[in-house]
Amino acid sequence: MRIAVCIKQVPATTDARIDPETKRIIREGTKAVMNPFDLYAVEEALRLRERAGGEVIVLSMGPDSARNVLTEALSMGADRAFLLCDRKFAGSDTWATSYALSRAIETIGGVDLIICGKQAVDGDTAQVGPGIAAKLDIMQAANVSKVEEIGDDHITVFRTDETGYDVLKLRLPALITVLKDINVPRIPTLRNARRARAAEITLWKPEDIGADPDKLGLAASPTRVVKTEPPALRGADTLLIEGDPADAAKALADEILRRGLLERGSV
Amino acid sequence: MTPTKNRIRPAGFHVELIPPKQDSQKLEDDLQLFASKFERVMASGFTASITDNAMGLLAFQGHECIEELGLRARPGQVLIHLNTFHTKQNLDEILTACERLGINSVLAISGDGSPRLPKLLPSDVEAEGVASVTSVELTRYIRKHYPSFTVGVAFNPYEPEADEFEKLKRKLDAGASFVITQPIIEKNAVTDRMLEKYPVLPVFIEAWMSKKLFLLSDVVGYPIPEDAAFDPLATLDQLRGFYPDCGLYLSLVGFKTQYEAIEAMAAAEKEAAE
Repeated sequence: MRIAVCIKQVPATTDARIDPETKRIIREGTKAVMNPFDLYAVEEALRLRERAGGEVIVLSMGPDSARNVLTEALSMGADRAFLLCDRKFAGSDTWATSYALSRAIETIGGVDLIICGKQAVDGDTAQVGPGIAAKLDIMQAANVSKVEEIGDDHITVFRTDETGYDVLKLRLPALITVLKDINVPRIPTLRNARRARAAEITLWKPEDIGADPDKLGLAASPTRVVKTEPPALRGADTLLIEGDPADAAKALADEILRRGLLERGSV
Repeated sequence: MTPTKNRIRPAGFHVELIPPKQDSQKLEDDLQLFASKFERVMASGFTASITDNAMGLLAFQGHECIEELGLRARPGQVLIHLNTFHTKQNLDEILTACERLGINSVLAISGDGSPRLPKLLPSDVEAEGVASVTSVELTRYIRKHYPSFTVGVAFNPYEPEADEFEKLKRKLDAGASFVITQPIIEKNAVTDRMLEKYPVLPVFIEAWMSKKLFLLSDVVGYPIPEDAAFDPLATLDQLRGFYPDCGLYLSLVGFKTQYEAIEAMAAAEKEAAE
């Protein structure tokens, strides 16, 4: 079983700032981390490798600093890493990114399963995973919360929506995007972290993956970001409960129940 | 008889060591630095007290640094901190590895946690009737399944006193056998009352060894100005006088600037005792 995991380096959400002029996220000087959903994708790939054997390959597209998130995935236990890194990739939207990553996956060859996080927390589009599946013309399931079974030629997953979940059996090769419910990502061991830091990360340019330069980058991206704004701060009521501690605690508990924040007897 | 007569100060100091961070960009250098500090603490006859993802910042575990770097944990000279932000499997792996390395002293703390860290579930540590795992449940689990370990717990004199005393009682009832306080920078009345209440319990006073006293603002619960003057070594000396039968736990020690003086302090005390 060859499993590819697409991961992205994103600004740490606690550090994210938006340029008031351009309305774009300021990435310079901001701490970068692996997209949180992608941690779950890497973990699920590792667990499937433990169940079915094979190898886990991680790939990303981004600047040279994106090596760090690939190294983190190697530290968790991934076998190989590829970084699509070239100026021609810069400014790609989800359409161009899906194209580039699909070309990389075809270049790797023999990939049975592709796993992505549900979405990246910087763009929040949730389009790249499904876009890769579309470009590769393979089956896909988004918002997967459980992998029930994996066989030589199929995978059975739980796809979650607002009302519950569907059980889907996909023919391999296939792509899934995963939710945080799916697992608890492991913390890298020191031994794996040292091994990962010494491991080679293969850098690929468009010509290495047979990509058409006219389908890459800002110029080839149909999406235009018209406006980005930080979310409006939500108003919050402040309730000051004074008096005897026991009475105040009871008043607080009553208020929590009245607002429906917890149900009686739920804790 | 004074209430604290039965308590005996342990020789030497507990020196806090922070393992390299998971996101270190110079991991090998950081490991070498950790190793050199660890070996120096061992050579001094002090105890290396190794933190567990302190402040919720992801770091490597103390036991794996020791094992991976081929360091030797001298008997009784290593204390591993263990918080509640682990999986059950990870918790058992840490404790088993410590046994293998001859480390049998653990500081059980609830810990700070972070979104990246898993949290022990009550069922993981066989706890019933609690919504979440704290150092109490962790202590009870370690004492039950790893009885060779001595378990210490934290005492925070800046929390509401009655609550903190009640928590301490539950920690001791769960099997804890020593206590380490939060950083104390002068004689502390709440700590004094705890020492009176538990006259034979081994207690370690945490001495803040950084000059940046203002970093303690959140701990003590009131703002400390950034320019507040603070002499850590002089304060350490004072604390030894205030608490003659307590051990001293030193956090954020400057190995280049303070360690020799700390070793000299311990040597002088040993000589005086002899």
